[in-house]
Amino acid sequence: MAIPGIVFLIVFKYIPLAGAVIAFQDFSVFKGFTDSPWVGFKHFETLIDHPDFARVFGNTLMLGFLKLALVFPVPVLLALMINEIRKSALKKGVQTALYIPHFLSWVIVSGIVFDFFSLSGLFNIVIGWFGYDPTLVMQESGYFRIVYVITAIWRDAGWGTVVYMAAISAIDPQLYESAMIDGASKTRQIRHITFPLLLPTVLVLFLLEIGNFLDLGFDHVFNLLTPMTYSVGDILDTYVFRTGIQQAQYSFATAVGLFQSVIGFILVFVFNKLSKKVSDGGLW
Amino acid sequence: MDWKKIGLVSAALVLATTAATACGNNNNASEEASSSPAQSSSASSSGGDEIVDVEVWGTNIGYKPVEKGSKLYEFYKEKLGVGVINPYVEWNGGTNYLNQLNLKIAANEMPDMFTPQQGIEDSLAKNGAIADLTDLLPKYAPNVMKVIPEEMWDIVKANDPTGQGRIYYIPGSVDYGRYAGMIRQDWLDKLNLSMPQTQDEYVKVLEAFRDQDPNGNGQKDEIPTGGRQEARWMDHLFAMYGVAMFEGYPDWDLYNGELTYSAVTPNMKAALEFAAKLYKEGLLDPETLLNDKAKWDGKVNSDKAGNYFHWVEQNNLYLENLQKNTGVQGRFSVLPVQKVDGYEGFYTWKRVGPPQWVVKNTKDEKKLQAVLKLLNNMYDKNNWKDLYLGVEGMHYEMKDGKAVKLPDDKSTQENQILNPYSSSATLDFTVDLFNSTASADNKWIYDQVTANMEEAQKYAKVIAGDGLPASIYEGYADINNRTLYIEYASKIIMGKYPIDKFDEFVDKWNKSGGEEVTKRAREWYSKVKK
Amino acid sequence: MVTVFETRSEKAFVSTITVILILLSVVALIPLLSVIATSLSSKSAVDMNLVTLWPKQFTLDSWSYIVDRPDLWRSFALTLVTTVVGTVLALLLTALLAYPLSKSKNEFRWGAVLMIGVVIAMIFKAPIVPYFLTVREIGLYDNPLVLIVPHLLNPFNLIIMRTFFKQFSKELEEAAFLEGCGYFRMLFQFVLPLSKAVLATLALFYGVVLWNQFQHPLLFLQNPDWFPLQIKIRQFITDDNVIMSGAVSTADLNYNERTLRATTVLFAIIPIIAVYPFLQKYFVKGAMIGSVKG
Repeated sequence: MAIPGIVFLIVFKYIPLAGAVIAFQDFSVFKGFTDSPWVGFKHFETLIDHPDFARVFGNTLMLGFLKLALVFPVPVLLALMINEIRKSALKKGVQTALYIPHFLSWVIVSGIVFDFFSLSGLFNIVIGWFGYDPTLVMQESGYFRIVYVITAIWRDAGWGTVVYMAAISAIDPQLYESAMIDGASKTRQIRHITFPLLLPTVLVLFLLEIGNFLDLGFDHVFNLLTPMTYSVGDILDTYVFRTGIQQAQYSFATAVGLFQSVIGFILVFVFNKLSKKVSDGGLW
Repeated sequence: MDWKKIGLVSAALVLATTAATACGNNNNASEEASSSPAQSSSASSSGGDEIVDVEVWGTNIGYKPVEKGSKLYEFYKEKLGVGVINPYVEWNGGTNYLNQLNLKIAANEMPDMFTPQQGIEDSLAKNGAIADLTDLLPKYAPNVMKVIPEEMWDIVKANDPTGQGRIYYIPGSVDYGRYAGMIRQDWLDKLNLSMPQTQDEYVKVLEAFRDQDPNGNGQKDEIPTGGRQEARWMDHLFAMYGVAMFEGYPDWDLYNGELTYSAVTPNMKAALEFAAKLYKEGLLDPETLLNDKAKWDGKVNSDKAGNYFHWVEQNNLYLENLQKNTGVQGRFSVLPVQKVDGYEGFYTWKRVGPPQWVVKNTKDEKKLQAVLKLLNNMYDKNNWKDLYLGVEGMHYEMKDGKAVKLPDDKSTQENQILNPYSSSATLDFTVDLFNSTASADNKWIYDQVTANMEEAQKYAKVIAGDGLPASIYEGYADINNRTLYIEYASKIIMGKYPIDKFDEFVDKWNKSGGEEVTKRAREWYSKVKK
Repeated sequence: MVTVFETRSEKAFVSTITVILILLSVVALIPLLSVIATSLSSKSAVDMNLVTLWPKQFTLDSWSYIVDRPDLWRSFALTLVTTVVGTVLALLLTALLAYPLSKSKNEFRWGAVLMIGVVIAMIFKAPIVPYFLTVREIGLYDNPLVLIVPHLLNPFNLIIMRTFFKQFSKELEEAAFLEGCGYFRMLFQFVLPLSKAVLATLALFYGVVLWNQFQHPLLFLQNPDWFPLQIKIRQFITDDNVIMSGAVSTADLNYNERTLRATTVLFAIIPIIAVYPFLQKYFVKGAMIGSVKG
């Protein structure tokens, strides 16, 4: 039964992945995989030795951490909240509204964000009422991280609730009924029934999120970045784009990708072991 | 589950696919793979005038591809005697184009003729993948040799990555100064100001724009001057200090007798200081560093910006939009390069454009001849007007006996991939074009534009770094991308960094590869200017 | 049925939550409002950066231009078909692998190893050149099937489905086995019908990916007849750096590239937005419950 799936994985994932060896070569499209010279860890060294590496890597870690700590919990909270709504029409309306931003590409969303913070944009109009001078937020590095987190939540939190809503729907209503008979308040119900039963799903998604820890969404950051905010916003992906991808430096780009993936994988491995101790969950 | 069977089947699949993939990777240096998808199936016997199809790749910002039998294909066939096929390859800043080009090469399907990007022509030449045109062009495509002046060919030969002085690409060329600062003449007239000639006069004019409501709407909403993100498209502020700059990107010129990158010269320091001053006093659009093209153009088109920097010959677009948006019939004049004591200013002019065409090195004589024939006919100036107009009904229409270009419509118009009138632009041709397509309604626009185009020539100067190949940046992607410059320039202009930080920038730039790149550039220069 | 007791504080609790959610919904809708406004504004208003949340100089010209484009409708139909077909097939393929993976070690020895493999497939991304060559080798270059086949299995979705299957009631399975049920029957007759929630979720996930795809067609499709919607939309996004001489003015038209972009974006979004309310009915509490009792 598993064969079709396995074949798919082999063809579309593992075989191309074998091509990742170009990270250890000076790959040229003319010479192909067999004739391009081998350079060992040269590209990794180029990456790490670059004077900006510390900054770029640090930014990636920081934003990754913020994403995990601040953005990840939001869909869970939202799902719990949406679950409490009675009227089906309202429930559907709220969910639909919340997940719409997900379908707008980052190019469009960032265009709107820039407009919002422009001199004639809503932000400056409102702070003007409170007597503040207009600020061009998008060129101040101090604001970048907040804008990143808020836009991430704005765009994707609603979408993230879908999985949790599905999980919640799998909870036996009888548990709620018995709890209510016992006189448990709503908050107690959430704390003792909904949340614990949601936990395995949350855990799995958390592990998957960690696996992609260093993957902050190139489109997201790239479209919000300005040269004035490089010091906090330039991440591995945008750095590689400028130096690797734009100039078709495949080997270098692959090396950086491998670097990110290996770190992600190690993290998943470690956290998976930890999660096994906490619950029966975990990925394997 | 029978694991043995599964294991064998999977292994077989893996082997089969790997073998197939490996075969596809063969070195294609001079091997003929001829797999151009829409190959003409006409008889292969050598005939005098049979039409051969060639696959051409170039810039396409969203128009339809040119496919076999399509209107534009037929047009090119009739005019130039060759079947041209231009598949749709999304440009996306050149990044996607380059990527797709590379993938095609990896799959042994290099197009017959294409526009190279990001210096790929160097490795192509070194690997023997593109044709050596030195002898082929004079023999089979003499028109190309004629259109592009001798000095440019010398530069192309000097840029030969194999060091043998051969020609591997056809360069773009611009034989006139295209750029200038443009200022609202009608605003000057309204405020009784004469055209500024010195920097002090210029600043006074900007202050008047800011304070005296030249657009007459009773609001202080004027933006005296401005530019776009990455500190680009405000070259007029840098030009007055003699900073070589191309569309906002610093370039190479002689400073103190030596070829130097303008971004690290004292001229740049002074220019940045000036720009920062303007920013601080509200004379430079505060959103300059966030403006994209649409935003900044919008400010010009809504009667708010008084002075911008761009192609003089595109001023017609601004005038038309300005009128459409606000009803104002504006007048623009060329802003002379403002005099600053101690500096010789100029508007940068690069005659040698980036490589425009390379030809696949193929053993298929027919294809090669077809490409050369195409190039020869393409560069025949007699054909330029027709190439510009395109297909009747699709790209242009006849209005009162005059051929007028139809407005842009990406959904119906095929990509006019062959555009020698653009890549080898001449002043006469462009002016001629305007004069022949002007109608009574918009004559006022084209009269301005053509006059300004002539005027701009007074201030244009060809820089010493004209024709410098991209290969000098090899290995130093960040220097090529100007990452450091953009960061420092932006912050200095904004006022976040004091001007003294500039010295720190020069230091960092040199240490992170600038020194090496400068050495290479100077070596190139001594070779070329022998 | 048990009567629902609600104290006053509980009512307040629910109301507060409801209000907060409504506010958040409004905030979430703002970008959409902005896009709608742009698509309904005149070219001049947009050019002068006057449009924020409300159309200025209202016009339907952008919409009439878009609606008149037969190539866009063709693309729409194509995208619809590939999305529906692709989603169904993807769900099938995913289920076929997720089910064995959800079994414990005694029943499926290779489960753990495969899971690690799936996680690796999710985390490690193949570089573009080998991926391109592989997909080309199996014949998907310039082949419309490339819009479906490479998307048929997504490791992330696979893991989610497997997680759900894992929580499936053991008693139910034991009961079925006693009746002589094989794995295939088990999956199709019992497990899937009771997994409507996760199937709906993944249908949404796969559907959206299929609907919005552009990487694959960009790399592998040459024939514009087979371009899905997102590629069409991208044709309206120009490059700031490409300046051509002899540019033609568009002063007479009442739409420009920015309004067209907004309009095509909406054109592509509307169907997707309409889908969720229909799928919502599968996220109903107690979807699995009836089974055990019976």
